[in-house]
Amino acid sequence: MQKQVRAWLEDGKVDVFLAYKMDCGHPLPHAFTRERIDETEDLVTGPARYSLEKFATQIAARHPEKKIGLLARDCTQRALNVLAVWNQLPAEQVEPLPVNCCPSALKPHADCTYLEAPATGDVKIQRGQDPRQSLEAIDAQEGSERFTRWMYEFQKCIKCYGCRNICPVCFCKDCSLEHPDLIGTGHLPPDIPIFHLVRAVHMAGRCIDCGLCEDACPAEIPLRLLYGKVNTIVKDLFDYDTGASDALSPFSILGDKPTLKPAPLLAVPQE
Amino acid sequence: MTLKFVPSICSYCGTGCGLLFQVMDGQLVGTLPMKTHPVNQGKLCIKGWNLHEHITSELRLKHPLLNTFGRMTKVGWDDAIGFAADRLKTIVAEHGPDSVGVLVSAKITNEENYLAQKFARAAIGTNNVDHCARL
Repeated sequence: MQKQVRAWLEDGKVDVFLAYKMDCGHPLPHAFTRERIDETEDLVTGPARYSLEKFATQIAARHPEKKIGLLARDCTQRALNVLAVWNQLPAEQVEPLPVNCCPSALKPHADCTYLEAPATGDVKIQRGQDPRQSLEAIDAQEGSERFTRWMYEFQKCIKCYGCRNICPVCFCKDCSLEHPDLIGTGHLPPDIPIFHLVRAVHMAGRCIDCGLCEDACPAEIPLRLLYGKVNTIVKDLFDYDTGASDALSPFSILGDKPTLKPAPLLAVPQE
Repeated sequence: MTLKFVPSICSYCGTGCGLLFQVMDGQLVGTLPMKTHPVNQGKLCIKGWNLHEHITSELRLKHPLLNTFGRMTKVGWDDAIGFAADRLKTIVAEHGPDSVGVLVSAKITNEENYLAQKFARAAIGTNNVDHCARL
């Protein structure tokens, strides 16, 4: 890995490479450059995952001429795809270097294992939504129970905006979550469930299921489940595969004509 | 193009969350939680997330200001400290040392906090000392 990055920098394939380097005993994100090429010997690939693609977006906004390389797990690839589709980070400006990723049948001890939801205690199982459940298990809950359980999760929110700040595909300049006409200001918990639902709706066709929001949430709200559900609806209704499709999301409302096209009726879930 | 991540500790309260300052082209542009820090484990509250903002804030106080007849005027450090000392002396002489309270801060160092309580107890003569992080 170190040799590969070194070669890319020396060849001029990339001008800057985003990866991790041990610093003060922690794997911290680091921008490797040609000027300080010897640092590549200290390059590490994990285990922590930072929003490298977000840093790449910020670099690209300031320096459109720089070629950016970065370590890419599967979710990073999906994020890069979404960012390219939304014109935030041109695909030709980034050079992803694939690395080990989330656990699967083939690689059970992968680097993202730490992002798996931790086992929860009795209180959460009794009152909240256990993050390890499947979406089907949540759908099987009775309506009022499901609502009460989600409201229990939402009322824990301390409105740190961490889920939005860490999100690789959150790039809007004006965020609805900070708009005083949409979300009440100055009290805790924030307006629930609207605060979380506004964000969930904006994640439709955008969330790439990287798990960074849930990992950054001090209140341990199972956000990954919530956004996962939203994206299954997008898949069912519009046949849009977030992160894999090259087309713009069906929710992009810019332009002259509406682009919302429902999928063939067969794809609509049968009630 | 330079991009640096500087590890640090949040200065807002006594918890001590680990964070990273994101410095791009010599300019502080963001704060991130440190994922592997044992205290906060990749999480931050809203104050920590916005730690970088006060550094470039327009409202940041950069010079001593003296309130004379309701107007804030810029003065030198010696004048400001001299004026504060005179007023403190007058208040202590007129109303006693317990009419003064000292509020120290999580945004200054341990040593400065020590000096502030020493000043309160030894110089002014009061135990009215409190700290913004006494949550």
